[in-house]
Amino acid sequence: MRGLSLVILLAVGVVPASAGDISVEVHSARPFGYFVGDLIHAEVEIRAPAGAVLSPATLPHPGTLSASLDLRNIYVEQARTNDGAVWRLDLTYQNFYVALDVRDVQIPAFTLTITTPSGVESHEVPVWRIGVAPLREVAPEKRENAEDYMRPDTAPITFSETRPQAAFAAFSTTALLGLVLIARDRAWPPFHMRRRRLFSALARRIRALTRVPENRQTVCAALMDIHRTLDACRGKSLLQEDLPTLLHAHPEFADLESSLNRFFSASRRLFFGRPEDTEAIDVTVGELARLSESLARRERVG
Amino acid sequence: MVGQQRAIRLVTIAIFSRGHVLIEGDVGVGKTTLLRAASRALGGDFARVEGTVDMMPTDILYHTDLGDDGRPRVGPSPLLRKAESISVFFFNEINRARPQVHSLLLRLMAERNVSAFDRDYAFPFLQVFADRNMVEREETFELPAAVRDRFLMEIAITAPKEDDIRRELAFDPKFGDVDALVSRVETGVFDYHAIPAVADLIQAEVSASSALQSYVLALWNGILRPGSVGASLDDADADTLVKGGASPRGLAFLVRAARVRAWLEGRDYLVPDDIREIFIEVLAHRIVVDPIHALRGDGIVKHLCRTVFDAVPAP
Repeated sequence: MRGLSLVILLAVGVVPASAGDISVEVHSARPFGYFVGDLIHAEVEIRAPAGAVLSPATLPHPGTLSASLDLRNIYVEQARTNDGAVWRLDLTYQNFYVALDVRDVQIPAFTLTITTPSGVESHEVPVWRIGVAPLREVAPEKRENAEDYMRPDTAPITFSETRPQAAFAAFSTTALLGLVLIARDRAWPPFHMRRRRLFSALARRIRALTRVPENRQTVCAALMDIHRTLDACRGKSLLQEDLPTLLHAHPEFADLESSLNRFFSASRRLFFGRPEDTEAIDVTVGELARLSESLARRERVG
Repeated sequence: MVGQQRAIRLVTIAIFSRGHVLIEGDVGVGKTTLLRAASRALGGDFARVEGTVDMMPTDILYHTDLGDDGRPRVGPSPLLRKAESISVFFFNEINRARPQVHSLLLRLMAERNVSAFDRDYAFPFLQVFADRNMVEREETFELPAAVRDRFLMEIAITAPKEDDIRRELAFDPKFGDVDALVSRVETGVFDYHAIPAVADLIQAEVSASSALQSYVLALWNGILRPGSVGASLDDADADTLVKGGASPRGLAFLVRAARVRAWLEGRDYLVPDDIREIFIEVLAHRIVVDPIHALRGDGIVKHLCRTVFDAVPAP
């Protein structure tokens, strides 16, 4: 409720900075229509340069202000902005004036002391008025013009739509891009029909292996990686004698038959050959990288 | 022989593995012709026995006739007489014979000798080929697991599916005269006396790397617990399907036959392709499945083997 009240607060008084950059504004929900016993809410906003300190002793104390007005409650909220300090005083008054006609009553002024780097300054929160009324026919002060009895309309608040529109476009594009990436990752339609590019990923991994010093372990790792990717391409374990079956199912690789046969023969000798054969490695990671890149190129085309 | 390249290849592997063979196939598809041709090529003798429900072990070992003096005589059977030179012994419809005969066959296969006339007869070059009647159930005796396990492999011989081969088999007169057909095989292409030594040399010379050994062990685990290698079957609980039979002897036979296959391919080391080529023939007939699936025949076991092969990566 407090938040809602603040939304509808109307500025009823602005005291420009009398010294330095200190300003005081008084906002009230409405300046009229109060009856005996009503609570009157007001917010006093004080802006001061960075480093300013509001003296708490100068704040008004809850209690009787006059014969017909009490200050019921005061709540101080301090915030810091880029420009300096802001204090918001939530003041709750209670009206006990038993009005016999519609008239204005004063909310008394009070003085605040603010210490700034340049010295101690006093600022007065000015008097402001509210209209109180009896529970009877309204008898306003006589005016020349009938329109003068009407309060002027509150000026509409205008915003520049450029920034929100740009932000909307940027966030919408980001969200859409994110959705596309997630759909691609999860193979949601329309990406569910697209084949995984197994050999493109393989080529990246084998390229990474070419950047480390070549030894038996790196050659074995590259061979194993190609084996597992060919297995994944076929959907089951692939042996050398299955190569014609694979090439029949994936004719895009047909012209790599001799390279693939050489790969399988090298793998056979390395993993399954006699001990004296396995010592002699007759394939390099570079050759395997070229094979995997050739496979990746044909995969993209096919 | 036409259209039976794979069967011929497997029989060759069995011969150089010194293993006995179960043959599965319909009548008239060329089982006997193939074995007679193999026997002639090896130069050894060929013997054939038809399994019958009233056959006893003595019918295989002894021959009875009337002598010139009119008195009954008991002599060695043709099998015993050819003990030293027989290379192929074909037992047709082995499951028509009684368990007593199976018992004799078990000894003949395992020890390559039998006892008769109060002495042992050795069969140094013998290989047993046996056919099972898988169609009829009446008056048949299923082979015990111990006998089945003695066979190196079970080879399926089916009629060729290619139309031109079928036409040739039906209309070419040379296929109508089996004796003439077998006589065209050059005799003694490979001296059967040398087979045991060659077989031992193959086993000694063809190496199996540690990667290959790990692969075979993964396959073995896969058959016993398919879930452990990520294999599953659509129509059976793979992890409870196999009740036994994938024995250490079966795996030893598997490697033995695979080494011969590697040698025939011109290699002196084993590769996974060798294992796969003979895996089903060597292991499927040994595997005992849950009784609820046993009546479905060996199709489910072969399917399991293929599924495990597809799931186990090599190397």
